Amino acid sequence: MELENLKYIWRQVGDSPMQEPSDQQILILMGRKPRDPIAKMRRNLLVELIVVVLTYVPTIAWYLIGFDGKLSGIAWVLFAMMAFFAGYAYRKDRLLKDMLCVSCQVRSNLERQVRLLKKYTRFYLAIGSLLVPVMAVFSFVLIFWNLPASPARTASWTTLTTGAILLAGFAIGFYRFNVWYINKLYGRHIRKLQEMLREMDEV
Amino acid sequence: MLHKVCNLYGYTDHDRQDLFQEIVVQLWRSYPGFRGEAKFSTWLYRIALNTAISDLRRQKKQFSSIDPVFLPTQLQDIQYSGEKEEQLQQLYAAIDQLTEIEKALVMLYLEDKSYDEMEEILGINQNNLRVKMNRIKEKLRKLTKETTHGIGKP
Repeated sequence: MELENLKYIWRQVGDSPMQEPSDQQILILMGRKPRDPIAKMRRNLLVELIVVVLTYVPTIAWYLIGFDGKLSGIAWVLFAMMAFFAGYAYRKDRLLKDMLCVSCQVRSNLERQVRLLKKYTRFYLAIGSLLVPVMAVFSFVLIFWNLPASPARTASWTTLTTGAILLAGFAIGFYRFNVWYINKLYGRHIRKLQEMLREMDEV
Repeated sequence: MLHKVCNLYGYTDHDRQDLFQEIVVQLWRSYPGFRGEAKFSTWLYRIALNTAISDLRRQKKQFSSIDPVFLPTQLQDIQYSGEKEEQLQQLYAAIDQLTEIEKALVMLYLEDKSYDEMEEILGINQNNLRVKMNRIKEKLRKLTKETTHGIGKP
């Protein structure tokens, strides 16, 4: 009886509380960019890719033209890295695109978001942590082989070992920073989604 | 229906308008993929609820300001006759104290949806739905009774 009363009140609400948008407003809405977090992440990813291309292309050109072409190897490594980043961005974009299925059942949409967001953060962490150390090692090897007079060739084993230890320390520190940063960016979101899923499943 | 979802999940007027716009955009983008496998209303509810539930930005605000004193004011711009308005505000105030998932269940219940339809929309099996619904109905009874001029007053 009480709940029937609630239903009665609910039916009285109708659709009048908010002002109905005009046709013009609807048309504006159709052309509007989605503002959900995933759409924003995709836009940020595109900005990242543009920044990478704008930074890498002049650097690649500089290594190809400068140093009498002796360091063109670095240019190719940078080119490979840029191509790798483009592939990485593409993969991330696909994951983000698949993440939201608004026409799916609510439960499966939440489950899908949790699964793909976890995959996304793992991918982000792995690539983000490996990129800088791998680049450093590649650059060192290239300089070592291409510039006979480079300090890399004349360095003692102690210097090289110290450099390797510093790089390993940096890699570990960077990995930990990435864990913290990714958790800060997505941790709360994932936990909240998991909490909702648990609530849906518990009897 | 869309406005009801926005009123349930949006805390401020700005939130409600923002959510409404987001749902309309999602409906527009998803419509080409609608193949009639489910009823149109089921599809509509899925999109509206998924959009509302998935956007945690609005929920953050709600969780941080759940003080019941402020809850009825969110409907201050709605013009109804005195008693009806009061009852409506109490209903919204009660619903506002539920979780996001419970809100979805209550909305479908108030919209008189069958358990079959609820399962189609939410993806929760019917046995689980029945248990949850009984629990939520009881919670809603208590919440509405707790208000001074409770609509569920015995």
